[in-house]
This record gives sequence, structure tokens and C-alpha cells, in this order.
Amino acid sequence: MPGIDECLLEAMRLPGALGASVVDWTSGLALGTVGDAPGGDHETTAAEAAELARLAAEHRAFAPDEEIGWEGKEPPVEDLIVSNRDTYHLLRFVATTFDSSVFLHLWLARSDGNLALARIRLGEMAGRLVLG
Amino acid sequence: MTVISTPPPPLPVRRKPNGPIGPAGTTGSVAPGGPADAAGQVGADGCADGRAGSTGPAGLTGSADPIGSAGPGSPGRAAAPGLSPMLHRLAAERATGVLLREHGTLYLSEGRIVHAESPETPGLDVLLTTGGLLHPDAWREAVAQAGARRRVGRYLVDHGRISEGSLELCHVAAVFDAAYFVLGASGEPARFRYGAVHWLGAVRPVPVAALERETLRRRELLHRIWPDPATDSAPLARAELPAGPPVTARQGAVLDQVDGVRTAADISHVLGRPAFHTLVDLRRLVAAGIVRAAPPRAAEPEDPSHGPPAPDPHHPQQSGAIVDPVSALLAQPAADPGIALLRRLRDALEAL
Repeated sequence: MPGIDECLLEAMRLPGALGASVVDWTSGLALGTVGDAPGGDHETTAAEAAELARLAAEHRAFAPDEEIGWEGKEPPVEDLIVSNRDTYHLLRFVATTFDSSVFLHLWLARSDGNLALARIRLGEMAGRLVLG
Repeated sequence: MTVISTPPPPLPVRRKPNGPIGPAGTTGSVAPGGPADAAGQVGADGCADGRAGSTGPAGLTGSADPIGSAGPGSPGRAAAPGLSPMLHRLAAERATGVLLREHGTLYLSEGRIVHAESPETPGLDVLLTTGGLLHPDAWREAVAQAGARRRVGRYLVDHGRISEGSLELCHVAAVFDAAYFVLGASGEPARFRYGAVHWLGAVRPVPVAALERETLRRRELLHRIWPDPATDSAPLARAELPAGPPVTARQGAVLDQVDGVRTAADISHVLGRPAFHTLVDLRRLVAAGIVRAAPPRAAEPEDPSHGPPAPDPHHPQQSGAIVDPVSALLAQPAADPGIALLRRLRDALEAL
């Protein structure tokens, strides 16, 4: 039964992992953090990542076709990938049976990170975090 | 707070042997001084907190601001030493107990926040049970079985009712959510009871400094979206728009509950959603001109059943001693979207 910290530490074992956090995208709150953050500030990073996640989660353009009346149980978007010259950011939405707006944020070094592997693992972790 | 979440076991009140307010007493403008009294309570924090003075006396009207609305751009923001000098002292001395303020309570364990409750926001029980994650009976059973040992959270996880992750996500969200209201401007002095322990038990303790930073950030976030806090506490109504702009799914859930009577706190309760989340969505809906604070119920003569004069926007003066035409125009029902826009502009300017 993993809690937030176990989940984040597991994410940090992925190759190239620099930092990880669990963030609420409505408020921008970092519910848990581990490792480094861009600029050294997890709270600012969480607030900025939350803005991006919110736009992706709330705009119809990114929802699958059949999603018309999403009621907050199942996020319409699975994940978001942002890449820059030296790192990747992977944001994975967490589906919960309670009302929430939470995602996992993994920051990966591009030199030794494996984006495909990270995407699969982070999806599994998101499931285990709430299902136990 | 619901009935379920009132603490079943009596809170033990233990005396601290010596003057509990330590050397930090010089920092605040209020110096409670003196050793703890016989009841173990230490007073005097509230009025000096935050910017209670700037928000005026409580109980003005329905739109009284419960959270303090000094904006991010205002000079007061940088000068604010903290939200509660007393909380700083308690953190510094690694105190255990409960801080009681006007808008709720903060439980500390060795100087860190372990729980927070406020009547402005749904409790953990509501958050966990509304979506069906936890049956209310299972919650009651856990409180009955483990409340006296103050291990309700642990009991729920150990008995497989909920996962550790779900409990932590919900609880941390609930703590920051309640703390946002507890640390709002307060018109009453705060008190601290040493030794009080919440029956839920520690889940994920939060440092006081992190809690304060987050609370200030949340105020700024709301202010950035829409500067007028009226909809945070007032009954809410839909603005009469000819064709409303599209809303997001989460905003739609909030909008469905807007009925001219319910407040943000009521809506949060119905949705089982942290109240700050509701405030965020409401400010966005207000900014979009979709929701507004419901007008006070005094305007009975304007009832449409009385006849046609009200809808005619060309003769506002007929209704009596109207002072100036702009106010008269703005006082009309928002039949014309242009007027609705003007009214929102006026409200926004006034709130700056």
C-alpha cells in the first residue's frame, strides 16, 4: 500500500529521474515532492505545472471523442509530455474515486531518461497510489 | 463541519508547566505574557493577525470578506510578517495542541500541522464519502473503534477501507484547504490548548512555514483570477446572460449548484470538494460573467408579477429618488449584455 512518498521514491528510481512531485492542479499545491525541481523551487514549479495541467484537462480539444460530460472521475487526458534541450517533463493525471484534480510530475534528464518507459511506469504508479 | 466530525473523545487539556509563550514573545505586537492559566489556554493572537483592520469590522453585510483581501500588488503583502505570530511561536517551541481561531482550528504536533478544520469547508469525512470511495458507515465504524486511540486514519488504512495514498491525498488537501480559511482575517483572539490531539491521528504533518506560504499564494491566486471576494461567502446566482460562454466540466458541476441561495461552502459540501477549489472555479465564473453574488432580498417591489415597469430600461427614474443615471442604469436587470459588461467592469474596478 504505497503512500505519496513511496510513490515518489519509486518514480525517482527511473533512469534519468531528477525530481518528482504530486500536485493538485486546481490550487497549484504540491502535495508531496522529492529530488530536485527546476530552479530549485518545488512550490513554484508545482504552481506553474498546475496551470499547464489545468489547460490540458479542461479544454475539450484534448479530450477523447466520446468524452462529453466528464464528471471528474476519469481525467480526460492521460498524460502530458514537455521536452526541452536537456530535460523532459512528464505529467500523469491520477484518476480517483473522490473529487480531486491531482497529477504526478516527473522531471527527467534527457541524456539518460527513457521517456517511453517513464510514461508506462508513471501510469502504473498513478493507479497504485490510489488503489493501494 | 458535519456531525460526524465532531470529536468523540474529549480533548485532554494538559497544562504546560511554565510560561508557554517563549522568547519569541517580543516579535508580535501582542504580548500575551504570563504563564498559562489554570485552564491551560493561552490567548491573544487574533486581532493583531493579518490585516483584520483593513477589512473592517466583521458583520457588515453578506459580502463581508472572511479571508482578508489585500491583493498581491498592494504594499501590505510584502510587509506582512506572517499570518499568525502565535502560530510562529508555537512552531518554534515545537508545541502540541490545538489553535482555535474564529474560522476554525489547527492541530499541531511537535510544532507541525497535523490537522485543520473549518466550517467553511467540508471535512475529510465528506471528501472521502461523497464520491463513494468510503461508505459513511465505514467512517463511523472507524471513528467508534479508533477514535479514542486517536488512530482513525490508520484504522481505515489497516482495515483496507481506503488506500494509504487516497487517505494522504485527501487529508493533505483538506488540511491546506481548511487552513486557508482558519488563517483568514479574524476578528477574535486566538487561543491555544496545549496537549490536545485530534482523533484522526497524524497522516502527513505539514510544516507551519509551508502552510503559511501556501495560504498566501492561494490568496494571490484568487485575486489574480478576479479581485472581488464577494462570491466567496455570499449566496450565488446565475447572471442573466443571453448566451453563456462554455464552462469546463468542473466549473459546470459548481454552476449546476448555483441556485440563488447556496454559498460556496454549501456547494463544496454537496460536491464533496475542497472549498478553495470551489472558490477558484467561482471566481473564474464571475470573471466570465456567468455567476454573481445574489442580490439582497430587499427588492421585493421589483417582483415581475407586479407589472411591466421593471423591464423597461429607458425610464429608471420612475422608481423614485434615483441619484445619477449611471447608477440607475447599472441597477437595472442585466437584459443587455453591454450593461452586464459595464457592471462587471465597475465591480472589478471597485474591488481593485
